[in-house]
Order: sequence, then C-alpha cells, then structure tokens
Amino acid sequence: MRKRLGTMVSDVLRSVFKKPATQLYPFERKPAPVAFRGKLIWEPEKCAGCMLCVKDCPANAIELIVLDKVNKRFVMRYHADRCIYCAQCVVSCRFKCLDLSDEEWELASTGKEPFTVYYGKEEDIAFLLEKMARDNAGENASCEE
Amino acid sequence: MTSERKFIVPIGPQHPALKEPGHFEFTVDGEIVTDASVRLGYVHRGIEKGAEERSYIQDLYLFERICGICSHVHATAFALGVERLAGVEAPLRAQAIRSLVAEMERIHSHMLWLGVAAHEGGFDTLFMYSWRDREIVMDLLEAFTGNRVNYSVNLLGGVKCDVNESLRDQILRGMDQLEKRIQHYLNVVTTDRTFLARTEGVGRMTREQADLFGAVGPTARASGVPRDVRVDAPYAYYSTVPVRLITDERGDLLARFVVRINELFEAIRVIREILDHLPEGELTARMPRRIPAGETISRVEAPRGELFYFVKSNGGEKPERVKVRTPSLCNWGSVMQVAVGHKLADMPMILAGIDPCFSCNDRMVQLKRKDSQQWMSWEDLRQYGIEYYKKVL
Repeated sequence: MRKRLGTMVSDVLRSVFKKPATQLYPFERKPAPVAFRGKLIWEPEKCAGCMLCVKDCPANAIELIVLDKVNKRFVMRYHADRCIYCAQCVVSCRFKCLDLSDEEWELASTGKEPFTVYYGKEEDIAFLLEKMARDNAGENASCEE
Repeated sequence: MTSERKFIVPIGPQHPALKEPGHFEFTVDGEIVTDASVRLGYVHRGIEKGAEERSYIQDLYLFERICGICSHVHATAFALGVERLAGVEAPLRAQAIRSLVAEMERIHSHMLWLGVAAHEGGFDTLFMYSWRDREIVMDLLEAFTGNRVNYSVNLLGGVKCDVNESLRDQILRGMDQLEKRIQHYLNVVTTDRTFLARTEGVGRMTREQADLFGAVGPTARASGVPRDVRVDAPYAYYSTVPVRLITDERGDLLARFVVRINELFEAIRVIREILDHLPEGELTARMPRRIPAGETISRVEAPRGELFYFVKSNGGEKPERVKVRTPSLCNWGSVMQVAVGHKLADMPMILAGIDPCFSCNDRMVQLKRKDSQQWMSWEDLRQYGIEYYKKVL
C-alpha cells in the first residue's frame, strides 16, 4: 500500500466547520434514554415485605424497616450513594414495586444527607424519624456539669 | 570508557504509559533495552475472597467490577459457570442478547485501545477522533442497558434487557456509521508514513514465541496463532452465529492494529446477523438460589483474549471458591521478551500493544521463603505474620 503523510488532516479541517462533539452541560441537557438506570423508586402500596430486594442487593443500598408487618407498614431507606444501579432489586421484586428512574439521575451532592432517601407513607416516615430522634437523644444530649 | 555497571530505568508504578499502576524495570545499554521485568499487584482488591462472602447473585455484580472495560464478559463467564453447575440453560434469546452486548463491548474496548495506542505513539489526532466515534457505541450501550459502563445485563439464568424494534434500528444505524469510520481508521494506520514508522517491524513476536509464552487474544492472533474461544469452544450464541477467525502473520505492532480493527468489522457483522435472526422467547430461565455442590470451569473470549473462570460450589447460597484468570496476565510474559532489543522510546507502544488491563491482573500472589522451594500455605503465612510481629514488638 502506498504510504502517505497527514492522513487525518482532512478530518481536522472538516471539524473546523462542524459543531463541537461535546455538549455544554448543564446548559444543554440531553434527555436520558428510556432504559436509563437512575434513582430507585419504590411504591409502598404493592410491597409485601418479602425482603428479597434487601437480600439480593450487592451494595447493601436498601433497608426495609418494618413498622407493622400485619398492616403492611414499611419504610424503605434507600442509600443512593451505595447503589450501583444494577437493577437486580427491580428484577428480584415479584410485586413490581421497584423501578429505576430515567428522569431523576442528577444525584450529585456536596453533602451526605441527600443520599439517604426515605420512601413510604408520610405518617410512617414521620413516625420513624421521630423514633430515631428519640433513640439518639441520649447520644446527642449536651453534657451538663 | 565502558562501565560494568547496569543502568536500569524504572517506569511506574504511577502512570506507566497508561493510567493504571504497574512497575517496569528496563535495563538499558545506551537506548537499547537489554532486559525487562514487570511487577504487578498494586490494585489487588481481594475480589475472589470477597466472592466467598456473598451470594451467587451478588457475586455477579462483584465480578463485573473486575474490569470496567470488559465488565460484561466477566459476568457472562461467571453466569455460564453457575448455570452449568445448576443444570440450567439460559433461553436462546437471552444467549443471543449476551453475545450481542459482548460484541458491542468488544467494539468499545477495541476503539478505546486504538485511541490509547495512538496516543502512546504520539498520534493524538487519531486518539481524539477514535474516541469521539467510540461514543456512538457507548450511547447505544446506554440506550440498550441503561448504563454506560458495568452494564449489568446478565442475570443468573438469563438477561435483564431486551431489544425492541426502535432500538434495533438505532443499533443498525450506529453500526453503519461506525463501519465507515473504522474503514477510515484502518486506512490511516496502514498508510500513514509517520505512524508506520512507529509500528511496522516494532515489537515483532513470532508464532513460536506466542505459543511458548502462552499469548492469548488479539496479541496471539496478530502472530498467526489461530486461538479464539468463540471459535474453538463456542458459548452463548456463537454456535448459531459463527465468528470468523482473524489472524495476521506479521506479529508486529502494525499487525496488532490490523487484527483489532478487522475484529471490529467482524463484530459489526455478528451484531447485524444476531439482530436479523433474533430468536423469540423468554429472557430468563428459573434458577435455584442454592447451587448444587460441584465444580466447573467456563471460558469466554474477552476483548483482550481468553477469560477463564473456575467456580466451586458446596451446595449453599455462596460459592466456596471462584478463581479468575484474566487475559492480560497471560500476555505479560510475551511482552517482556519482545521488549528486549528495542529502543526505550518504543516501550510505551509495545506495552500498550497487548492492550494491558492492570486491574485485571491483580488476582493472587503466591509466596516462597528465601531459603525454600515450597509455596507458602495459608497456615504458613499466618505463622509468618505472628513471628514477624513478635520480632517487631
């Protein structure tokens, strides 16, 4: 084959008249594909509390807190920072109450709090948070001399 | 004036040509390398031991993380092994999708390598443009599986993702686009005078050497060794859609470029054929949680060569032992031999020529005492640790 020089010069010259291949994120946002795996979404109504998602999660990202098993009062504590977005929980769930969102995926944060997400009925979450605050009260109490 | 003393150039462990840790020592005479040695083990993560503490389902994702570039083949190899132990066969459609993603992954891996190797050779224009075009297949993988890396397509007994009509068209369009670009890159690496000066005749490995040092994958095939697990022992969907073996007799760096780029064409052909004859049916087969006791091996062709898994089960929910042998490890012996006689400046290119993956290498270390020929057992190591700390304290 004949040897040449500057075999990629034409690519470079053509690129001068093209738009940049990169996007100006966050000013330009390309929508995520439908199959995209973003933040985990949990629908408490369908959950039977079988705990398979918790058992199968390779990253220990899901905790299911049982407040009342008979009346199906569960709260899910989801750790978005531990999640590896593998969708094993979505497949493991027999009641189809888990899904990975294709809309909520900009999860970066400067603090740790936003990564702990509570799912469930509002009164159940409030009950759980209150209980946790009560249990931790001893630890956080100021020391009186 | 000549000196008797050897001059050794150390490279690494930080950033030795590639952005991964490894330590190389090249003994030089002037600028000609007379001896080469490699030290690995900087990124040992204890994955095999960790696997013994987790269930088979969780291990699937752990093994996927051995390598970020060829994650899918790791999960496939592990899933194939566990499925064989359980006596379950994944449905045909699932097998086809496994092969489909594996070939898409091969395209992204080879294009990544093309860019890195061009960068090592100082041809940054090729690096930038090949990586720009690699985005086509990355976007397709994202649309298909939902993730750009670590696709997590596999399940034990099947796959998670399915192909619908619109995705099929999208993939076919992407492949048409890529084919044109890859043809252009083949022309560039085989005709560019400056680049040929860095690749033609450099790092030549004969077929005998490749056989002797146990080279695998495109590195071996570029020396004319007809070795490809997809051809020799077809798995997943490769028995239905056979792969054409691509070899080159020259054995130099140029041959490695040509073999890998031709493999890209072959991958595109296989993807088109799978999409045209995608079998209908289920995506998963029922899989028991407890895997019957026994041991098995599974082999798949990763982008870098043969990937080998050994899985031993004791009948429980967790594996008793999993051993992984990755392709990069097999290729180090050959590259260290080939390096001798070349200029020091060619070393980054020769190293990059085998498409090394450092995180793949770091599986296990065996130790010998200075005065003994015996390998140290786990108990010996424990005793050694106790004695060592007694002395220190």
